[in-house]
Amino acid sequence: MTKVKSALALRKNDSCKKITDLICNYLAGRLSPAVKREFERHLQMCPDCVNFLNTYKKTVSLAGTLSAGELPAKVRANVLAFLRRKAHRMVALFFYLAIHSTA
Amino acid sequence: MLAIQISTAAIPQATLGQTSAEDGGTATGSAHPLPRRRKPGGQKDTQLIERLKAGDQAALEAIFNLYAKKLYSVAQRILGEAADTEEVIQDVFWTVYRKAKSFKGDAQFSTWLYRLTVNAALGRVRRSKKKKEVEYEEFLPKFQKDGHHLVRPVVDWSDTLDEKYARHEIHALLGRALDQLKPVDRSVVVLSDLEGLSDKETAAALGLTVPAVKTRLHRARLFLRGRLAVELGHSAS
Repeated sequence: MTKVKSALALRKNDSCKKITDLICNYLAGRLSPAVKREFERHLQMCPDCVNFLNTYKKTVSLAGTLSAGELPAKVRANVLAFLRRKAHRMVALFFYLAIHSTA
Repeated sequence: MLAIQISTAAIPQATLGQTSAEDGGTATGSAHPLPRRRKPGGQKDTQLIERLKAGDQAALEAIFNLYAKKLYSVAQRILGEAADTEEVIQDVFWTVYRKAKSFKGDAQFSTWLYRLTVNAALGRVRRSKKKKEVEYEEFLPKFQKDGHHLVRPVVDWSDTLDEKYARHEIHALLGRALDQLKPVDRSVVVLSDLEGLSDKETAAALGLTVPAVKTRLHRARLFLRGRLAVELGHSAS
């Protein structure tokens, strides 16, 4: 019922603003069939929204290719050295407490 | 408190630096990249976390080999600079070691790791001097009273972007735009669009509701799109 209402609302107010608000859900495949039909019907009539959609999609796909690169070797070595040091201290403390709790 | 934590742990079975092949990495090898759309870590993660709970330090290094590169990337993108990233990663893996027993398996292990990383990174962002915040409004689409685009025609620059800029230049542009997002919004984009987490996973990692993630993601994407449009000499609208 809600989905039908949404589709009707979209038909009544099939403005570019409404379409823009729905882009994220459209690309994620989350629109109900009725709303999706109305969304695509608007696209057929509105080149502005087609262009907007294309640039939105381009932005998302570019973001997906962003990478901070490799883990620097120095960072890797530093973090592992830190973890070894801390873990060994914890183990030493474990034995210390084990011995003293039984003494 | 510390004594209680330690006394409940088994005696460590191995030490860091003695990673075996089955751990999924070597002490000197590079981190194993996660596929963009990850399947649940499943058995391997479960085995590693169980070993870690038993105090196996080699399991910590195996987890480091599996996730360090990804988590470093996430932290660096959220922080916007490399300076504090090493400390964040250090804190995250040390927390994993200390708090392994508190991981109940309600969420995926990777989601827990992302959550620790995002929390640590956002904590540093909050403590650091505030950057001048960019107003989103300037770069969001604008509409006429009847709901149509304010500036018409809307230009499709999706193809010309690649013609005008080299890929590394586009990445630099987008990276700068990403840095201008509010920290939580940036985290949403990093987890959703860069790391490929689902809305549910992103919500779990950030302590947000799924609708909040969807709203923030859409608005942040609109901002990024607007920034790119303006860079290309077009209207954000």
